[in-house]
Amino acid sequence: MNKVPALNSLFTFLVKICPYCLVALLTLPVLGGVIGVLLPAFGWAPALNETNIGFAGFSALWQTPGLTHMVGLSIRTGLISTLIAFMLMIIMLGAFFNSVWLKRIEYILSPILVIPHAAAAIAVSFLIAPSGLFTRLFSPWLTGWQLAPEGALPYDAFGWSIIIGLVLKELPFLLLIALGVLAQPELGKKLRKQHQIAVNLGYYPMVAFFKVVLPSLYPLLRLPIFAVLAYASASVEMPLILGPNTPPTLAVAIMHWFNDVDLNLRIKASAGALLQLAITVGLLLTWLLLEKIIALVFKQSLINGRRQYAHQLICTFTHVFTSLILIFIVAALIGLVMWSIAGYWRFPDTVPSSVVFLHFQHAFTQIHTPLFNTLIIGGISTLFAITMVLLCLEAEQLNAKPMSKWTQLIIYLPLLVPSIAFLFGIVWLQQLLNSQHAFFNVIFVHVLFVLPYVFLSIADSYRRLDPRLARVAASLGASPCKVFLQVKLPQLFAPILIAIALGLAISFGQYLSTLLASGGRISTITTEAVTLANGASRRTSAVYAILQMALPLIGFGVAWVLPKYFFKARA
Amino acid sequence: MQSSLHIKDCQLYRQGELLLSLNEQVNGGEILTIMGPSGSGKSSLLNWLTGCLPKDFRAQGEVWLNGQNIDNTAPHLRHIGVLYQDALLFSHLTVAGNIAFAMPKGNKKQRLEKIDHALGQVGLTGLAARHPDSLSGGQQARVALLRMLLSEPKAILLDEPFSKLDTQLRVDTRELVFSQIREHKLPAIMVTHDHSDAEATAGKVITLGTDA
Repeated sequence: MNKVPALNSLFTFLVKICPYCLVALLTLPVLGGVIGVLLPAFGWAPALNETNIGFAGFSALWQTPGLTHMVGLSIRTGLISTLIAFMLMIIMLGAFFNSVWLKRIEYILSPILVIPHAAAAIAVSFLIAPSGLFTRLFSPWLTGWQLAPEGALPYDAFGWSIIIGLVLKELPFLLLIALGVLAQPELGKKLRKQHQIAVNLGYYPMVAFFKVVLPSLYPLLRLPIFAVLAYASASVEMPLILGPNTPPTLAVAIMHWFNDVDLNLRIKASAGALLQLAITVGLLLTWLLLEKIIALVFKQSLINGRRQYAHQLICTFTHVFTSLILIFIVAALIGLVMWSIAGYWRFPDTVPSSVVFLHFQHAFTQIHTPLFNTLIIGGISTLFAITMVLLCLEAEQLNAKPMSKWTQLIIYLPLLVPSIAFLFGIVWLQQLLNSQHAFFNVIFVHVLFVLPYVFLSIADSYRRLDPRLARVAASLGASPCKVFLQVKLPQLFAPILIAIALGLAISFGQYLSTLLASGGRISTITTEAVTLANGASRRTSAVYAILQMALPLIGFGVAWVLPKYFFKARA
Repeated sequence: MQSSLHIKDCQLYRQGELLLSLNEQVNGGEILTIMGPSGSGKSSLLNWLTGCLPKDFRAQGEVWLNGQNIDNTAPHLRHIGVLYQDALLFSHLTVAGNIAFAMPKGNKKQRLEKIDHALGQVGLTGLAARHPDSLSGGQQARVALLRMLLSEPKAILLDEPFSKLDTQLRVDTRELVFSQIREHKLPAIMVTHDHSDAEATAGKVITLGTDA
């Protein structure tokens, strides 16, 4: 009997401290990490016997050959990919708003969301390569090519390959976020009704979307868009696999400098990380400015009464583009699978001449350690994250006080600050604290990236849960702890599983953070896949990319199936 | 020519089950009231008339508006205005913006004058630049009415438009809406739960089956 009050007070205590822990856990490492980059950038690195405060790092950085090209490449790829993804998202939403096709597109694109960036990049690189599936489909009957041509893609100097890869990953993310916003019961209903009113007033459905729905929807998409832009401007996986090498993007160059055997390059790398931070902030500000300009320019046309704009043209454009993207994704996946089982595959042939499972068998003999590491790290960081998030959401409900705008922003912090700019600082701090345990360090860093996604995934469902359920339970004498464990959690079983699956997927996909926090000592499926993509055979690389995709999909499959058997609602 | 909305042999089904059948003509300035419990298909009838019937429903019959069959006309080309129980004003636009949004294209100055004039007629002078969320419920309802009327609809549907207003406001708003309908000589169909609404129309009332 004594255990119950003890449990209750423990629960009350946890619920009380969790929100503070969450804020501390997200801000301290990120800010500490940035400081940990800031100090060496200005020459203060005791570990390297450098304590002369100055601008040596920056002058070394400015003298790097091709620096402007690197910066240009980062800005181009980040901005263009986000712009394209955003525009495609809104025209798809606009064209298919209130159409059954929106649901179908959502089903097709959802799995893309959980495919790690590295795997997606590998699939894209296979597709657009000179000997990739696209040229094979049109050779030799159309092109006349009997041998693989010299091609510009991937690794093109402008960065189109990176842009394609990023768009394919970002579009599903933005689209699903937007659909999530529209699925909020009150807001979604209001926007759909307003859309209907505009249609009744004679507006073409697409124009009604742009003039009525988008102005209300956009502010809710701003943070996710910023996360996408920040990621795209500073990501490492995509440019590493798809981008040019001479020179690479700034983020990739910084990573190389940090990992160089010449430790003195670290000063320059830290300066570079600050430059990266400035670039990302600059891009975010540019986006805000664009936003303001567009709002100003189109302010009048919102109410000018015009009901249609080149309707047919825009519709055709949207349909063509949506089909192209879906075809592209399907072709990339098919190509990946074919490479993983290809025996002999001569150039213009569309399919391999023989099918072998040798590559998979070979991979399975070497995969035990990376697989074990992936699962352990993902499992622990996700369980920790979901526990934190659930307790925080419960605190929000018990205090009957919604989270402040700042807290919401802080949750996005690890997604908004380029990881390359703070990860090295964290690693440095971990070394300072003499934290030698690689597993712990990696899990700690993964939590930073898993937490925001888990939070975003579960928060809506949690807040939407009928508050009367808890009140009824309380009136029956259940303690808050019991209500939490025996009413709320079972009620939310399905969304919790989805959040866990998402957390696992995020952890599985981490490349840079795993590499850095472990000092290269822990290999996961993702680090192996990226390493292999830059050298080994296409077939091995394809196998690893498929394994990378399979793991999160298994997670989501389980999350989808289990609620059908446990805590299921009566149909 | 007098305007009219003619529903010819309408039969509305939900998942194969017959909800209602109707054969009515409403002339300009008349208000047809349809009463019935929830789930009797009242709102679905309005959705069918605007061309937005949800997937679960199926309808037979024809709609004729001012002598034209509009069965195959897209919803946005039907020119049927709808008032819902919520004002559903666009919160990203001002009061004047909401009304301007609904008006046909035209000279900017003339449109603004027309908006001011219309606001004055319903006792909302000076509120043009206000944000809709800062208005009272009754004011919002009046803006929604203006928004619909100034879009120059050919027929009007009222989907329990007064049910969220309290008693006195309800009477006033109802009077305003009905007088505008009569003044513009527009055919109107209203669905409602409320008997006083029905009586106030002084028109035909159809009560749908209570078995649902």
